[in-house]
Amino acid sequence: MSAQAAEHAVHDPNLGITGLDHRKMGMWAFLGSECMFFGSLIGTYMSYKGKSLTGPTPHEIFNIPLTSVSAFVLLMSSVWMVLALNYLRLNNMRWAKFWILMTALFGAWFVGNQVYEFAEFVHEGLTLQTSLFGSTFFVLTGFHGAHVTGGVIWLLSLWALALMGKLGPEDYLKVEIAGLYWHFVDIVWIAIFTLVYLIP
Amino acid sequence: MADPHAAATPHAAGSHAAAEGGHATVATYLRVGVVLTVVTAIEVATLYIPGIPGLLLVLSLIVMSIVKFALVVGFYMHLRYDPQVLRALFVGPLLIAIAIILALMALFGAYILLPRT
Repeated sequence: MSAQAAEHAVHDPNLGITGLDHRKMGMWAFLGSECMFFGSLIGTYMSYKGKSLTGPTPHEIFNIPLTSVSAFVLLMSSVWMVLALNYLRLNNMRWAKFWILMTALFGAWFVGNQVYEFAEFVHEGLTLQTSLFGSTFFVLTGFHGAHVTGGVIWLLSLWALALMGKLGPEDYLKVEIAGLYWHFVDIVWIAIFTLVYLIP
Repeated sequence: MADPHAAATPHAAGSHAAAEGGHATVATYLRVGVVLTVVTAIEVATLYIPGIPGLLLVLSLIVMSIVKFALVVGFYMHLRYDPQVLRALFVGPLLIAIAIILALMALFGAYILLPRT
């Protein structure tokens, strides 16, 4: 650690011996563990793919146009998130609040699509107990949906704090950490979209 | 970081948020967004190309997915601007995750990345 970083660390309890903020490092470490968590779920899905004894099969029930819209919606929410962070950095709270809300709304749109998709699948006879496909699919995408839902709640909390005037540019790191989480759920969906939905 | 007390209009922000100490510009964020959208559209369109060989389809989908993944992590998560230790914190477990997926598939004899013909 440089002398300058050491001096800074004395004044800021959030800075560790690396000179980096504990909270940001903690979030990256958490995201690393999440990689392994979703890696296990994706690996399980891929291992059991095509080995179900009973239908319906993925080809029979996947609604690719709907899922493509969901993928687009989540990607766009990531764009809104970086815009929110940018305007927060510039102390433009009006637009920061707007883009935080848009990010949350697009996240909610994604979750809504997933709820609709799950309901359709159950209606067509695919449940958690139906087959290996049903079990691995619902566990993988369900956990992802739960992560998105958590992110939406987090973003709405930040938006509410901003509305009350309790969130400003000095809280940049808090929003950046929320953004890191949000982008992570986006990249997990990028992997799921390709490996689960698109690859035949 | 920009002066937190400096007010900026949405329009001005686009031109003033130039890369400074590890931040991309708004224009860069939007360009990345456009690329992500286009790649996603190509991914979906690839499925509907008649007669495309299975191996080519799978490989092209995986490559496009990796490109999207790298763009989001590099630009939106700022990892390309962040210190090495943060990159290691994420890339290390990511490699382990990929190893987990490949190991599980090998253990279960699931060679489904190469679709059956």
